[in-house]
Amino acid sequence: MTRDVSLTGRSSTTRTVRLGRVQPQAPSHRTIYCNDREANFPIRFKGNSISTTKYNFFTFLPKGLFEQFRRVANCYFLFISILSMTPISPVNPVTNVVPLSLVLLVSLIKEAFEDWKRFQNDMVINNGPVEVLQDQKWETVPWKKLQVGDIVRVKQDGFFPADLLFLASTNPDGVCYIETANLDGETNLKIRKALERTWDYSTPEKAAEFKGEVQCEQPNNSLYTFTGNLIIQKQTLPLSPNQLLLRGCSLRNTEYIVGAVIFTGHETKVMMNSMNVPSKRSTLERKLDKLILTLFGSLFLMCLIGAIASGIFINRKYHYLGLDEGAPTEFNPSNRFGVAALTLFTLITLYSTIIPISLYVSIEMIKFIQCTQFINKDLHMYHAETNTAALARTSNLNEELGQVEYIFSDKTGTLTRNLMEFFKCSIGGEVYGFGITEIEQGGAERNGIQVQVHKSVSAVHEKGFNFDDSRLMRGAWRNEPDPDTCKEFFRCLAICHTVLPEGDESPEKITYQAASPDEAALVTAAKNFGFFFYRRTPTMIYVRESHVEKMGKILDVAYEILNVLEFNSTRKRQSVVCRYPDGRLVLYCKGADTVIYERLADGNDDLKKITRGHLEQFGSAGLRTLCLAYRDLSPEMYESWNEKFIQAKSSLRDRENKLDEVAELIEKELILIGSTAIEDKLQEGVPGCIQTLSRAGIKIWVLTGDKMETAINIAYACNLINNEMKQFIISSETDAIREVENRGDQVEIACFIKEEVKKELKRCLEEAQHCLSTVSGPKLALVIDGKCLMYALDPSLRVMLLNLSLNCSSVVCCRVSPLQKAQVTSLVKKGARKITLSIGDGANDVSMIQAAHIGVGISGLEGMQAVMASDFAIAQFRYLADLLLVHGRWSYLRICKVITYFFYKNLTFTLTQFWFTFHTGFSGQRFYDDWFQSLYNVIFTALPVIMVGLFDKDVSASLSKKYPELYKEGIRNVFFKWRVVGTWACFSVYQSLIFYHFVTTSSAGGKNSSGRIFGLWDVSTMAFTCVVITVNLRLLMICNSITRWHYISVGGSILAWFIFIFVYSIFRENVFFVIYVLMSTFYFYITILLVPIVALLGDFIYQGVQRWFFPYDYQIVQEIHRHEPDDNSRAGLLEIENQLTPHEERSYAIAQLPREISKHTGFAFDSPGYESFFAAQLGIYAPQKPWDVARRASVRSRPKTSKKN
Amino acid sequence: MDVDGGSTSSDSTRVRSIPIHSGQCKAFLSQFKQQSLPACKPVLTPAWVIATLLLLGFVFIPIGLVTLHASRGVLEIVDRYDADCVPEEFKGNKASYIKDTSVPKNCTRILKVHKYMKAPIYIYYQLDNYYQNHRRYVKSRSDQQLLHGLKYNDTSSCKPEESNNGLPVVPCGLIAWSLFNDTYTFIRGTAELRVNRKNIAWKSDRDHKFGKHVYPFNFQNGTLIGGGKLDPNIPLGDQEDLIVWMRTSALPSFRKIYGRIEEDLEADDVIVVHLMNNYNTYSFGGKKKLVISTSSWLGGRNDFLGVAYIFVGSSAIILSLVFLLLHVKNPRPYGDTAYLSWNRKGISS
Repeated sequence: MTRDVSLTGRSSTTRTVRLGRVQPQAPSHRTIYCNDREANFPIRFKGNSISTTKYNFFTFLPKGLFEQFRRVANCYFLFISILSMTPISPVNPVTNVVPLSLVLLVSLIKEAFEDWKRFQNDMVINNGPVEVLQDQKWETVPWKKLQVGDIVRVKQDGFFPADLLFLASTNPDGVCYIETANLDGETNLKIRKALERTWDYSTPEKAAEFKGEVQCEQPNNSLYTFTGNLIIQKQTLPLSPNQLLLRGCSLRNTEYIVGAVIFTGHETKVMMNSMNVPSKRSTLERKLDKLILTLFGSLFLMCLIGAIASGIFINRKYHYLGLDEGAPTEFNPSNRFGVAALTLFTLITLYSTIIPISLYVSIEMIKFIQCTQFINKDLHMYHAETNTAALARTSNLNEELGQVEYIFSDKTGTLTRNLMEFFKCSIGGEVYGFGITEIEQGGAERNGIQVQVHKSVSAVHEKGFNFDDSRLMRGAWRNEPDPDTCKEFFRCLAICHTVLPEGDESPEKITYQAASPDEAALVTAAKNFGFFFYRRTPTMIYVRESHVEKMGKILDVAYEILNVLEFNSTRKRQSVVCRYPDGRLVLYCKGADTVIYERLADGNDDLKKITRGHLEQFGSAGLRTLCLAYRDLSPEMYESWNEKFIQAKSSLRDRENKLDEVAELIEKELILIGSTAIEDKLQEGVPGCIQTLSRAGIKIWVLTGDKMETAINIAYACNLINNEMKQFIISSETDAIREVENRGDQVEIACFIKEEVKKELKRCLEEAQHCLSTVSGPKLALVIDGKCLMYALDPSLRVMLLNLSLNCSSVVCCRVSPLQKAQVTSLVKKGARKITLSIGDGANDVSMIQAAHIGVGISGLEGMQAVMASDFAIAQFRYLADLLLVHGRWSYLRICKVITYFFYKNLTFTLTQFWFTFHTGFSGQRFYDDWFQSLYNVIFTALPVIMVGLFDKDVSASLSKKYPELYKEGIRNVFFKWRVVGTWACFSVYQSLIFYHFVTTSSAGGKNSSGRIFGLWDVSTMAFTCVVITVNLRLLMICNSITRWHYISVGGSILAWFIFIFVYSIFRENVFFVIYVLMSTFYFYITILLVPIVALLGDFIYQGVQRWFFPYDYQIVQEIHRHEPDDNSRAGLLEIENQLTPHEERSYAIAQLPREISKHTGFAFDSPGYESFFAAQLGIYAPQKPWDVARRASVRSRPKTSKKN
Repeated sequence: MDVDGGSTSSDSTRVRSIPIHSGQCKAFLSQFKQQSLPACKPVLTPAWVIATLLLLGFVFIPIGLVTLHASRGVLEIVDRYDADCVPEEFKGNKASYIKDTSVPKNCTRILKVHKYMKAPIYIYYQLDNYYQNHRRYVKSRSDQQLLHGLKYNDTSSCKPEESNNGLPVVPCGLIAWSLFNDTYTFIRGTAELRVNRKNIAWKSDRDHKFGKHVYPFNFQNGTLIGGGKLDPNIPLGDQEDLIVWMRTSALPSFRKIYGRIEEDLEADDVIVVHLMNNYNTYSFGGKKKLVISTSSWLGGRNDFLGVAYIFVGSSAIILSLVFLLLHVKNPRPYGDTAYLSWNRKGISS
C-alpha cells in the first residue's frame, strides 16, 4: 500500500478474518475529500474501471506461453524440440517444432478467446452508465470514469458502481433497501441507514454543497466490516458498515440514493474478495498421468536398449561410414560410451512421438464441447418453469461424472423444494388444518391404506400457504374456544419476524422478502388469517387487522417495534418487543420447541403437554414446527432491560455473546400460544431419481442440519431408507448421555459420548458384518447425528465409522454443521478413495461442494453461493440422473476411448520406428520423413478421435436410464484399467510388427516389371501409408455408433495423407516422387490391401471373442435393443419410472410390515446468514469470482434499462 | 452390421429458451446438441464374425494364389562370390587382399541356367550386412549439389567427404564415395552377352534428382578411396550406377540393379561371369552376391506377399469354421438379460 496519507494514523485494531486467511490491515487510513477531485488528485486513487482479463495485448504472448509451459507435456516437447535442433538429432527440428507450435497455437487461441470474452464483459461493466454530480447537475458517465470522492446517484434497481458512502435517500429516515444476492446469495433485502447529518443532500443543488472528508480503512476484503469517520464541518461522525453500499449490490424499494465513492474498481470489497477457486482435476486424468509416466518409462527403456546396442555396434570396420579418427563423438568408435550417451538423446528425439503431444489439447477440446454443447444444452436437464438449463462451470470433470460412487446430498432445497407452506397449526391445545402431507401419504400407502385426499371448499392454497380448515378462516376463529389465544397467535405471526414487504400494499399483490421461506410462510399465513402485515419502517410494523373487534371490520394498526432479538442457531429463537398503540408492551417469541419450553412460565401444564403431543404429530408427518409464545412486559421492567440491551448493542467486543446474554434476561416466563407446522415439499421426481441412482450402484448420503427424525422421514419419503433395511441409529439423544450432560461437566460429557459412540460403532459394525456374511442379508442404513459424528470423526474412530458406513447402502447424517459435511465428504474421498459428488443449494453446502470430487449446485430459488462454488449447476435434483447416467457415463466412455486410442496410435507408430532401429545399426536413423512424423499427430490422425470423443455412445440416453446398472462399469473403472491399456499395448506391438516386417520383407527385390528396386524412403512411405490407414480404420472399429461425421473425418484423414504426399513428394528431395513410384507398382496395391487387414484382423477377432464370451453389460443392452430405433422422447422415460420389477414388488410387500412411529417434533428453521458465516470461519468459504458477480450484474441490469427507454 | 437411423429428438414441447430451429443446418445443430445424430450402430455378433472371416478367406486366398504364382514364375540365379573370389593365399586375411592394389582382382564364376529365362533378364548385385541405412551414411549427401553441381557450395551435410585438398567434391558425401565398383561381364559359349546398363534407375531420379550438366569433380582423389570412380566427362544424370547406388536401401541386406541382358537364356546354358572383385566387404564381413533374375508384373521373386495372403486367408477360414462350430454347439443367446452382470450375481448384490 503506497497511499500513505497526511494523517499519521495508528494501525487499526480490526482484524478481518475471511476466506481462511488473515489480511493484515495497512497501517494507515485513507482520506477522501468528497466532491473535490482536485484535493483527491495527489493521492492517485485507482480508477473505477476493472479488468478481469489475464492478459493484455503485450503480455499475452509471454504470459500465455509461460502458462502453457507449466504443463509437463509441453515442457517435454520443448526439450525435445531443442534437442532436435542439435546435430545429434536424427530428425529435422520441424518434426517436433510443428506439432508443438500447433498445440500451443490452439491452446493460445482458446486462452485468447476466453480472455476476449472476459474483456468484453469488463467493457460492458466499465461502460455502464452512472449519474455523477457535476456542476450541480447529474451527469451520466460510464462507470469507469468514476473517481474516489465523487458524488453519485443510483436509481431503484440500479447497481452500485463502487463502494459508496450512503449519504441520502428519497426514503424517510434516510434508509434504503439493498439486495446482496450478487455478494452472498441472500435474496432478502437488507436495510442501510445514512447518517442523520447527511440526509438532506439528495438534490443536486444541495449535494454540490457537500464537502466532507472521509477517513476510513484501507481497501480490504471483509464484506461485513467497515470503520471510518466522516468529518463534516469540523464534526467527526463515526461510520459503520450500515453506511456502506457495496459494489455489486442493487438498490430496492427506494427511488434513488446519493452516495460518495469510497473504494473504486479493484479496491472495492467485492473485487478484493476475488479468489480463484482451485481447479479440480479428474481422477481419470490423474490416472492418465500414470500412463504417461509409464510411457516415459518405456521410452527410456527403448532408448537405453538402442543406446547400449549402438555403442556395441559402432566399429571402424564399417569403412563406408567413414569412422576414422576425425569422426564426431556420436560416431567415434574409440569412445563407445560417448556414442551410447549421445545416441540415447538421439533416440529420445526419435521416439518422442510415443508421448501423444496433442492428447491434452484434444481432450480439452472434447471436454469443452461436451460441456458447452451437450451438458449446457440438454433439453432433458432444462427446467422450463425457472428457465434454467444445466450449467457446467468447469470442463475438467466431465468424465468424473461417470464414475461417481457416493453422492452427498443436502436436504433442504435439494431433495426438498425449500418451498415452505403453512400447513397446520396448534393453537391453545387445538389442532387446525386437515391436510395430509406427502410423507403421511407415502407412509399410509406403505401400510396399505389408501388415502383419499378430499379438498374442501375452504382450502386456501397460495405460495407459502396451503391450509385447509374453515375454523380459522374469515374470522371464524372468533367462535373457537379460545379466541384470545388465537389473536395472540396471529399477532405473533404478523409481528415477530424480519420480513420486508415489497410491492403494492394489497393482500393480493404484496410479496414478502424474507431471510427464510419459513418466515415468509408464517407472515403469509397471518395475512390469510386476517392479520395483513403490509408495511415496515425501521421502528414500526403496520398490520391491517380484520375481524378483531367485530366481524368484517378492518383496522390498520401500527405496532412500534422496540427491539428485535434476532435468530441464530445457538438461540434457535427470535423475539420482538413491540408496543401496541394502546401502550401494551409485549414480547413475542418464536423458536424451537426445546428452547421455548425451557423458558415458559410455570403452570398450564395441560396445554404444554397437549401442544407437545401435537408437535410430535407434526414432526412425524415431516412438518417443520415452531413454537410461539408471548410475554407481557411492564414498562419499568422493559426500561431497565432496554438499558442493558443498548449497552450490549454498543459494546465493541464480543457483542454477539453479550446480546445473547441480555436476550436471555427478557426471554423468560413466556406464555405458550401454540405451534405452527410448515410443510417442506419434496422436489419433483426425487424418489424416482434416488431409486435410479441407487440401482446404478451409487450410494446416497443425506447430510442435513435438520433433526434426526425429520431427516429420517425425508429419507423414507425419498426411498433412501425403507423398512426392509436394517437401520443403525447412533444418536446423542439417549438417556444415558442426557443424564451426563445434565451434570454439566464438559470433559466428562466428551469422554462419555466418545465411549458411547465407540461402543455403538463397534456393535453396529459387528452386526453389519454379520448381516453381510449371510447370503441375502438386508441392506443396511446408518443414521448418525452431528454430535456423535463429531466424536466418530475422531482419528481413532474414523476407520470404524468408515467401515460401517461403506457397508451401508444409505447413510443419513443429521444435525451436521457445514464443516462436518465437508469432513464426511473428505472421509469418504480420502479414506475410501471413492469418487464423491456433493450436491446442495445453499451457502451451508459450499464447504461440502468444494470438498468432494465433484460439486453440484442447485441453481434454484436460494442464492447463488452453492452454484458459484460448484462444478456443475442443475435446476433440479432429478436431473442428476441425466447428468450422471447419461452425460457422465458417455463422457467417461468417450474419454477412456480417446485416451486409450491416443496411447495406441502413438505407441504403434513409435514402435515401427523402434523395430527399424534394430536394422540400422542402432544409429537412430529415422524411418519416416520429418514431416510425416510431425503431421501424424496433428493432421493424419487428429480429427477422427475427436469425433469419438464427441459422438460415441454405446446405448441411447433413455436406455442409460432404463438400465442404470450400466453405470457400475464406470464406478469399477472397467474401461481404463491397466488390463485395458495392456490389451491396447499388445495390439500396438502386434500391429507395429506387422507394419514393419510385412512392408520391409515384401519390399525386397525388384518391384516392377522392369526390375527396379525401392529405396529407404519408398519403403517407409509404404509403411506410413499402412499405418495411417490402419490407425484410422481401427478407430471405426472401436466406435459404438458411427455417424457420417466419423466417415467424413476418417476418410478425410486418409485422404489428407494422400493429398499431402502427392504434393509433398514433388518438392521434397529425399522422398522425391516416392508415392508416384510406389503407385506405379502392383506391389503397392497388394500390400495396402494386405497389411491393414492383417493388422486389424487381430483386433477384429479379439473384439468378436470378447463380445461373444465375455460381454460387457452395455453390449448385452445393445443387443437387447438392437432393432429399436434410438428413442430420446420423454414418453419412454415416464414409462420407466412406473415399472415395478419383481424386486421392487417384494420390497413393497415387506414395507407393509408395521413400523415404529418415531416421536419427534420436527423443529426446523432456516438461517442462511448464520451458516454461511460459520462456513467462512472455518476457512472453506468460497466467494464467487468477481467477474461472475459483475457479469450477472451487467446481465441483469440490461433488460431493466431497456425497459425504461 | 445393423444400421439404424437414429430418430430425431421430439422434445419440441419442452423447448423455450433452447429453441430448435427449422432448416437443415439448425436441425443438425439441435441433433448435435441433444446428441441424437443419426448413427449406424454396429453390433459384432458371431454371425458377423464368422461371415467376415469367411469372406476374408475367400477374397485373400485367390489373391494369394495369383501373387504367389507371379512370384514363382520368376527365375533367379543367385551366386555368392565374395569368399570364393579371394585367392587361397589371402583366405586368412581377406581385408589385406582387397586393400592390396597390386593383386589382380579379377575372378571368374560359372553359372548354370536351369530353366529357360526370357529376356529381359535383370542383373542385380546383393550386399548383406551393409548398413546403407546408417544415420551417418544416409545423411551424408547433398541433393542440391547432385542437381546443381558446383553452383551449390554448401556441402556441410556431406561430412566427412565434403571436400578434398581444399576443393569441393562432386558428388560429395559418404554414399557417393562408397560407390559399389565390382563389374561383371557375361559370356555364353563364346559370345559375350550384351549387358544394357542404361535405364536402370527410376526415371524421376534420372530426370530431376541428378543434374544433366553436373560433372564429377575432384571425386575419389583423396588418400582413402571408398569405392568406384566416375567418368568426369559423363554428367551425373547419366551415371545410372551412381543413381541406383544413391537410392539408399531400407535394410542392411539389399539388392541393387546392375544391368539388363536383353537376350533369352536357354535351359542348360552355361554362363561364365568375369568379374572384377573390387569392392571391400571383407573388412566388415559383408556378403556379395550376383543375382540373375527374370521379372514378372509384380517384380522380382518374392514369395512373401503370396504366402502371407494364403496364410491369412486360410487361417481366417479355419477360424471361422472353429467359431461356427462353437456357435452351433454352444450358442450364446444374444440380448439375453440373464447375461447382465447384475442379473448373473443374483438380486442380493
